[in-house]
Amino acid sequence: MIEFMFAVAIGMLFGIGVFQLLRRDLIKAAIGFAILFSAINLFFVAVGAFEGDFAPYVSNVEAGRSTSDPLVQALILTAIVVSFGSFSLVLGFVNIISRRFDTVDSNDINKLKH
Amino acid sequence: MANNTLLLGILVTPLVGAIVALIFANSNRSQRSIGVLTGLIAWGFSVSLLAQVHDVGVQTYALGNWDPPYGIVLVADKLGALFAFMVTTIMIGGLLYTYHGHDKCMSYPAFIPLFLLMEVGLAGAMLTGDLFTLFVFMELMVLASVSLTAISDDQYGLEAALKYIFISSMGTLFLLLGIASLYATFGTLNMAQIAQILMTGELPILAASSALMLLCAFLLKSAVFPFHFWQPDFHTTAPTPISAMLSSIVVKVGVYGILRLVTLLFVEGAQVMEPLLSTLGIIGILFGSLGALRTYNAKRMLAYSTFAQIGFILVGIGWGGTLALIGAIVYAFNHAFIKSSLLMLMGVVASYTKTKTANFSDIAGIGSRLPRPLGWLALLGGLSLAGVPPFNGFISKLTLIQGGVESGEWLELIIMVGAGILTLMYMIRAWQRIFQQSPRPTTVGVKEEGDSMFAPLLMIVVCLLLGTIFAEPLVQLVSATVQQIQDPSVYIRAVFPEGLGQ
Repeated sequence: MIEFMFAVAIGMLFGIGVFQLLRRDLIKAAIGFAILFSAINLFFVAVGAFEGDFAPYVSNVEAGRSTSDPLVQALILTAIVVSFGSFSLVLGFVNIISRRFDTVDSNDINKLKH
Repeated sequence: MANNTLLLGILVTPLVGAIVALIFANSNRSQRSIGVLTGLIAWGFSVSLLAQVHDVGVQTYALGNWDPPYGIVLVADKLGALFAFMVTTIMIGGLLYTYHGHDKCMSYPAFIPLFLLMEVGLAGAMLTGDLFTLFVFMELMVLASVSLTAISDDQYGLEAALKYIFISSMGTLFLLLGIASLYATFGTLNMAQIAQILMTGELPILAASSALMLLCAFLLKSAVFPFHFWQPDFHTTAPTPISAMLSSIVVKVGVYGILRLVTLLFVEGAQVMEPLLSTLGIIGILFGSLGALRTYNAKRMLAYSTFAQIGFILVGIGWGGTLALIGAIVYAFNHAFIKSSLLMLMGVVASYTKTKTANFSDIAGIGSRLPRPLGWLALLGGLSLAGVPPFNGFISKLTLIQGGVESGEWLELIIMVGAGILTLMYMIRAWQRIFQQSPRPTTVGVKEEGDSMFAPLLMIVVCLLLGTIFAEPLVQLVSATVQQIQDPSVYIRAVFPEGLGQ
């Protein structure tokens, strides 16, 4: 049951993220990017979370039962750091752009169109 | 397994250099010296690595002594070592340009550290044997290059950087999604192990979709047809040394990834990918060449030209024969040298104008006030890019066309030769506008002093002379490379000398 809910949550986050990313408002687009990244991080966790019966690195695992995969958790920690880095960089760019153009509407930020 | 520290040296040297440069944040002069010095040391490492790989065989380094598949492993096979050599060599050119550069952004304390981090990302992406590490290195490279473009002297740099970071982050997201799907299917991220599993078994549906996602991410990184629209803006507005790096080696990361996909990871799925690649390549050749013809800016023209040249490489990969692969890799290698030196030359030309742009309306006729050798070398570089004999551009086109003749793809060959003529047209036209015309009234404000010509002249002389004289050894080197990558078991055996104990 919980796996199904994970799948629904990932799908919803992905949909919301893509919708937000395609908005004209750059701040909303940046937030959509963060939502998309969390959808993928959740997918990564879901890949290994339901394998075993115990959390990884628990010392008193009963005989015949297994722990879940610890690697995905290490991987998404890195992925979260990377996503944070790029998200903050995007927000920084949007901040300067909003001051330079007095707008965050991507339709009005068109100086590159000659 | 035997650990080779040279592999680590290529990655750690620029990383340490970046940190040391940050310590010297107050002294810009010493930062620039540290940059050049670090670039030279990393280059030395990569040269000896290339020699070792060709003498001894594939070199590996298990980080933290965790044996694969449990730990992260760095692998330098002939392809990875060749590309790492290309990256470190061209990086020296960029760092030398920065050493003498006059741009305002080059005096920021973050410029050299970011530049060196970009080198770490590039070299790391080409030397890693683990897909997740590939993602991390690619993201490092993207973030560094985006920041460098955002601080560019060009007033539109920030806008282009924002545009690129949105698009590129989507690409990175799909790369991560593809990697997660591969992990869900095989329970490993080691490239050699995935290749081993896929060699014996059939392709599961989730792995097939992940192959497509990885392919899209790599196509986006190298700006191929449906994902190309960000490229001219981004490459034009970046500071000159950065745009030379972006247009020559950063796009090659995508090419490298595609080569790995079709020769190592998804050898079975390559039959599906190859026609797609050559079709996209042909579209890129046509649109890139025609786009370059109608541009108003010399740097933008070269950016469009990169779009076309990547098309040539992809068509070579798409043909998939031995000769075609040799052609594609030789082309990728030579293109990186020619394009970076030409872009730096255009940067020098643009630096003599007051507006610091490379718009043809501003730089038309400026050549008569510049030192003479600049014009002649720009002409030679343009001829080499167009593939006129006897330059190295001709060698790469010749090997590629041999591959096409071997595959018997006549229609694509005709398009490619036609596009070569288009290349000649736009390069000659740009040269005439800059160096042959008399200065127009619109050519306002020529400065007495611009950026130093040292780096681009060194690069172009090295590329034209060595690339032409040592064409035969280069083609032989690449032949050995192709021979190795066509047999994925060499790579797998190097990572798992005792076989996969499962």
